[in-house]
Amino acid sequence: MSNDRTPETSQLQQFIQQERKLKPILLMTHVVYGYPSIEDSIRLMETLLESGVELLEIQFPFSDPIADGPSILNACHKAINHRPQLDHCLKAIESFKQRFPNSRILLMSYLNPLYRYGLSKLVKEAATGVSGLIIPDLPLEQAEQYRKDCELAGIDPIWLITPDTPESRLVQHCEAATGMLYCVSRRGVTGKTDSQKEDSKQIPTTTVSLRDYLGLVAEKSTVPLAVGFGIRERHQITMLQGLADVAIVGSALLDAYDNGGLRQIRQLITTLRGKN
Amino acid sequence: MNNNGYYGRYGGSYIPEILYTSQQQLLKEYRQAQADSSFQLELQQEMQQFSGRPTPLTPCRNLSKLLGGAQIYLKREDLNHSGAHKMNNVIGQGLLVKRMGKKRIIAETGAGQHGIASALIAARLGLECTVYMGAKDIERQYPNVFWMKQLGAEVVPVTSGGQTLRDALDEALRDWTDSHPSSHYLIGTSCGCAPYPEMVAKFQSVIGRETKEQSQQLFNALPDAVYASVGGGSNACGIMLPFQSDVAVELIGVEAGGRGTKPGDHAVRLSNNRAETDSPAMLGSPGIAQGFASIFLQDEQGQLQETHSIAAGLDYVGVSPIIADLAEKNRLRMIAAKDDKVIEAFQLLLRHEGIIPALESAHAVAGAISEIPQRPKEQNVVINISGRGDKDIFNVASAVGDPEFDRFLSRYLDQSLKT
Ligand SMILES: Cc1ncc(COP(=O)(O)O)c(C=O)c1O
Repeated sequence: MSNDRTPETSQLQQFIQQERKLKPILLMTHVVYGYPSIEDSIRLMETLLESGVELLEIQFPFSDPIADGPSILNACHKAINHRPQLDHCLKAIESFKQRFPNSRILLMSYLNPLYRYGLSKLVKEAATGVSGLIIPDLPLEQAEQYRKDCELAGIDPIWLITPDTPESRLVQHCEAATGMLYCVSRRGVTGKTDSQKEDSKQIPTTTVSLRDYLGLVAEKSTVPLAVGFGIRERHQITMLQGLADVAIVGSALLDAYDNGGLRQIRQLITTLRGKN
Repeated sequence: MNNNGYYGRYGGSYIPEILYTSQQQLLKEYRQAQADSSFQLELQQEMQQFSGRPTPLTPCRNLSKLLGGAQIYLKREDLNHSGAHKMNNVIGQGLLVKRMGKKRIIAETGAGQHGIASALIAARLGLECTVYMGAKDIERQYPNVFWMKQLGAEVVPVTSGGQTLRDALDEALRDWTDSHPSSHYLIGTSCGCAPYPEMVAKFQSVIGRETKEQSQQLFNALPDAVYASVGGGSNACGIMLPFQSDVAVELIGVEAGGRGTKPGDHAVRLSNNRAETDSPAMLGSPGIAQGFASIFLQDEQGQLQETHSIAAGLDYVGVSPIIADLAEKNRLRMIAAKDDKVIEAFQLLLRHEGIIPALESAHAVAGAISEIPQRPKEQNVVINISGRGDKDIFNVASAVGDPEFDRFLSRYLDQSLKT
């Protein structure tokens, strides 16, 4: 790869920018493949795609998800009991891609299951259905080959940045970013355990205010910004309008599903979109 | 080790982005402390004054005679304050925490030995301390939990997954992602992201340095072989690394053979110990988890597996990248000892030498006993007794089947329920 070549705008980025012309903010919903069962998780994904979420993030479960809090951790452990297979997951994603052309699908997992499958092989095979890959325990400096593979396959490696990321490192990530950047809103893991301590009216951030943090990222970055961790309610999403392009909802969705199944999911999506 | 914390193809740093600044800070402070003679002096003093170092090298004349092979010496890490080698590491990291100005430590623990050591150093240095411990391990090692609480530490039971050391480690990492600006993650073994494996091994290497000197004094030579148990790998790294370039010194690590070779019945990640496990190849495979690349017990989908050992401290799914690399390069030979052999070795050491080893350390003894009769009498063999066995009283009592102990417990319970 030569450095002086400006990369074409990725398909994921184009998609987000197109959609954003029509909507103030997009929704990315996070689900765990295999929870509560393989079939039910497929039904859940279909329900979300039918309800028109623009982006669906599918987590392939790992036994030791160190960036995830209780809701997703529990879902991963239950999912693993059903012996989820990565190649089956990829097939399901491929079929979604054909049936729901108005949404894009991202695959998220920890390194080990992907590494076990073969990271290069995965990237190649995922390209038919997956627009972006999220691997929270793969740091930029360990990712040279992965980035080459992704570019070749036309998949975006999605990098995570946090309010604690120093500015020089933020710049590195912004330069590497294609598709979108995943801006973690605060410290800690996914879900509610530690955001409960904080004012639920705000998306909690740590040393800097969310506005300043996202402002800085927007200044350094040319790709769309997605914000996640601790987003549960409509007013949080409203607050993000103008600061970010995508709101990511994970644990809240799982909790809704656990409380009231697919009905509650549809209701939550409607509420989050502010359409009631 | 290279600059990115790799040992061969193992090690590295695979952590969530939020931890980057604290990981870098630790790396920097650790490097500076290594080069700072006043830190080194304080470290040495604290090991002496708080933990009672140096620990002796004890000849085992009776056991040597009984087995009829090489001469046996024990490195007595059980005589550290807290009763295990874990103290060496917490003193080192504790002093680093002070240097960094952090106010709280987070620790994971399996057997509870590292939990106790962390609680002790926290009390001494005036730090807050939170210990994550698998709910199953809490059941196995309650006396240690009791002491941690008495020392002022908060003990958090971990109820996810297999509820053992690996789950506790995950949970400690989760805490750190939230608390890293004010808290230090004080890992208890030479695993985790760089620089933890290197740093813990370094703080533990006082064991090997002393052993080297004491061998010269006692038998005027380097040992012919060194045996150590391998959980995460810190006591093994500690005693072995100072001998790494002395190629005549054979290094042997002993893993937990547990009940057998079925997944979930053992913690044999590296050894291909046909006699004990009759497995064609090592049972672990390369993986990346909990912040580092190493050999892990996992299924074909890359899910980490459950483990078992009679010794809670060896019941770990991964292994130090330093150990994985040394084993791959054949500098270190790995074998396994099953639960029943461990109890036999434990009893042998009690009866013939009057020393009560931790069940973890008894693995090293069992491994050594399986080979010593074949070694010539002129050889000198050192076994690392990483800890003392008092904590194992409940497990040993049930393993040896002492009915009087059970009756005592029920009488004690009756009494305390009455009052
Ligand atoms: C006495 C003792 N020995 C050995 C171990 C195993 O750990 P490592 O392999 O890091 O020495 C432990 C762990 O808790 C322990 O308490």
